[in-house]
Amino acid sequence: MRTYLTTLDNPWRVFDELMTDFPFDFLNNAWRARTGQYPRVNAWENETGLVVEAEVAGVDPDKLDVSVDANVLTLKGEKPLSGGAKSEFQRTFSLPFELDSENIKATAKNGILTLSIPRRAGSEKRRIAIEKQ
Amino acid sequence: MNLMKRTEAEARRMTREEVSPVTRLDENTEAFTLTLELPGVSEKDINLVIEHRTLSVTAENTVEVHKDYTPTLTEIPEVSYRAAFELPERVDAANIRAEHRNGLLVLTLPKREEVKPRRIAIAAG
Repeated sequence: MRTYLTTLDNPWRVFDELMTDFPFDFLNNAWRARTGQYPRVNAWENETGLVVEAEVAGVDPDKLDVSVDANVLTLKGEKPLSGGAKSEFQRTFSLPFELDSENIKATAKNGILTLSIPRRAGSEKRRIAIEKQ
Repeated sequence: MNLMKRTEAEARRMTREEVSPVTRLDENTEAFTLTLELPGVSEKDINLVIEHRTLSVTAENTVEVHKDYTPTLTEIPEVSYRAAFELPERVDAANIRAEHRNGLLVLTLPKREEVKPRRIAIAAG
């Protein structure tokens, strides 16, 4: 009862709950990355587009699914485990610009998937001139 | 011998963290299969040695650098993969096969003939 009252009185309760959720999620992802269930990714960008490299050792390239929806890139796959079991993974990246889903170039070598995706026409970074008064 | 003088390759190797690769072991009646995940490792950077029934693997990955691009997310470090396995007596060490594909190093460790299961014929009485 006492705990209940304390909780009820604590105006930061909601905030605390949000904060305790966060590190668990973060650790979970870190752990999954370490055990190879969650592919680690390097990404680069410039004015023309985006390059993404993901560690997908052991993932059958036919079982890799790359999709782009406006500014969201999703990477899905399936990896065989011991004894015929499978593990599925999915990572989604939200980008500050839109991508051209028609012109994705994907290659896989030594267990690294390399994606080269141009920015969608009209989505290039542009400078806005400030009018002098 | 000058201990301070190191080649560039040696210096680069020293900055790499040593990690154990994700490994899995499967077994059937003929052999054990040891699968090591070595993403970003070229065949030439894998070193596989058997010494006194200890099988050891060392490997280094290559992390691409894309010039003219700005890195926005960097999760893949340059590492040295290192793993060692004590081979049980029932493994025929002389006939170990290694295959490198799809970022995996697949080692087939055949069992010795005498330990493979065999059917014993029952003589009619």
